[in-house]
Amino acid sequence: MSGPADVPEAAPRRLESGSFSSGLTVPDFAACLQMGLRPVGLVQGFCAMQWGWYGAGSPYMRGMSPYAPPNPGGTYAQSWYCPHGFVSGEHRMWGQNYEQVWVEQAWLQGFNSAFGRLIEEAKEVGAHGVIGVTDTTHSLLEANVAEFHVLGTAVVVEGAPPPPKNEPWSTYLAGQRLAKLIEAGLMPISVVATIASVRVWAYCVTEYLMEGAGLMWQTQGASSVQDVQQVSEGLFAARAIARDHVRRQLGNDSLHGVSVATSEREIGGGDHVFECTLRGTRVRRFKDFDPIGAPRPTVRLT
Amino acid sequence: MPDPRAEMAAAATWLADGGRSPDQRAVTSDLSIDEALLLHSIGWEPIELVFGVSVTSVPMGVWTWGRGELSGASDAHNLAVHTASERLAKECSSAGGHGVVGVRVSAEVHPHHVNVELTGTAVRPVGAKPHVGRPFVSDLSTRDFALLSNAGWMPLGLAFGASFIYAPRRDAAAAIRQSTQNVEMTNLTEALYAARESAMERMQSSGLQMSADGIVGVHVTEGPMSFARHVMRFTAWGTAVHLAQDAHHHMRPEVVLSLDDAVIQFSAGALRGD
Repeated sequence: MSGPADVPEAAPRRLESGSFSSGLTVPDFAACLQMGLRPVGLVQGFCAMQWGWYGAGSPYMRGMSPYAPPNPGGTYAQSWYCPHGFVSGEHRMWGQNYEQVWVEQAWLQGFNSAFGRLIEEAKEVGAHGVIGVTDTTHSLLEANVAEFHVLGTAVVVEGAPPPPKNEPWSTYLAGQRLAKLIEAGLMPISVVATIASVRVWAYCVTEYLMEGAGLMWQTQGASSVQDVQQVSEGLFAARAIARDHVRRQLGNDSLHGVSVATSEREIGGGDHVFECTLRGTRVRRFKDFDPIGAPRPTVRLT
Repeated sequence: MPDPRAEMAAAATWLADGGRSPDQRAVTSDLSIDEALLLHSIGWEPIELVFGVSVTSVPMGVWTWGRGELSGASDAHNLAVHTASERLAKECSSAGGHGVVGVRVSAEVHPHHVNVELTGTAVRPVGAKPHVGRPFVSDLSTRDFALLSNAGWMPLGLAFGASFIYAPRRDAAAAIRQSTQNVEMTNLTEALYAARESAMERMQSSGLQMSADGIVGVHVTEGPMSFARHVMRFTAWGTAVHLAQDAHHHMRPEVVLSLDDAVIQFSAGALRGD
């Protein structure tokens, strides 16, 4: 599915039925009405994605070569070379950390399709914005198939003109937190979510250190209690790349209330896959900041 | 009180009229809106989400039986925290921050490596120039940071100490003699005490190295390692603080008494005279 035909034919009929639906809790619903936001429908988007394979013939092989330049095609890649000289045919003479672009692209395609479908439903009901967005990802059927589900409540701002290009704004916030955001002078623009995936392909030193055989490396004059540079850099790269991806989606706007989720899979022999997902609301300042007075400390008697 | 309805309509109208982004570098922050407002109330602002990680190797043979401290494991743990914390401070400096608040600390001990991951938000006084010197690193929440700073104190860094000690087994004669008694396992108690002393001592000396007056919000973990139950672990960490002003400012919290009535429980059975 792609383009305007994404919304099933029955959905607009249901959404136009005259009664609204909303995913808000009752306190969030009350806060929403107080702010002049009228809920018009619970809008959702789904997408089931298959992860591509990166074996021979895949366009993603380019990072994996000891002779590749650093950061091929602008993506992260870092090589590590054996300091021992020839030891055996099985010795890991070369290792690399590289960004698994195909994993990131699959995830982004899945998320963005689901999110785009949610926005389409919101347009369908004439919404100005979508609040209280949540998103979930599940594995489906097989290991490399995942379902993306994005859900939120489409709202109309009473007395305001339609949003620019009729494109509804969106936010993970709802209720009093959204009211406070507006009060602080920040207008939500869009939910932003991204992932970074880094594969660590260990070279000999990393393998020794991660398997406790650091003494073999110690004979080279290094300590066996030491920072495992390749793994530390891989772990950091996943986070820093996710932050870069998010920055590219922000322009000069800010990202508020980021939630950071990381996953680490140890494959063995020092090999790892590190992933980092960042989610947050892109916000833009619409009025000068008016600092609140210093809060008064209180102690409650009960 | 501002009118939330008018504020919302004004914001949406501003956006519809082509409201543009400010001409400045984007801010990334994991603070909630309450935390961001609280930070602003004491004249600080978030600037960047920052990370500091370290994976440190633990040599083979460390977890086997022996006596006293497993210095390989203790050293690895302390090195991992120190390295991760330095990296976090470096990230903060390059973003122009004066310090990192709300640092989430994750420290995992595996048989052959210790993983330490720190995540937080770099902050600075509103519009301030980059800080000269080492930025502070603190696992205190924004609320705690605001309270501390109002009282005249500032965080300096994470003070950390870890120690791993062998818990020696009783000999056969002692075990047989004590088998029918209610008896304290002094070998295990003593191992815990030994681990406690080393870890706390390291935490305090790391605080002193930062010229701290004290350490607040200390977290403690203790107990046997899941993969080496003959080893007692003790870790302690908190935020090293110092008095940044001439004297401590005493807060005078206002005492409030809530007049809300307790909710009256209604029982339908009472109507039927049950």
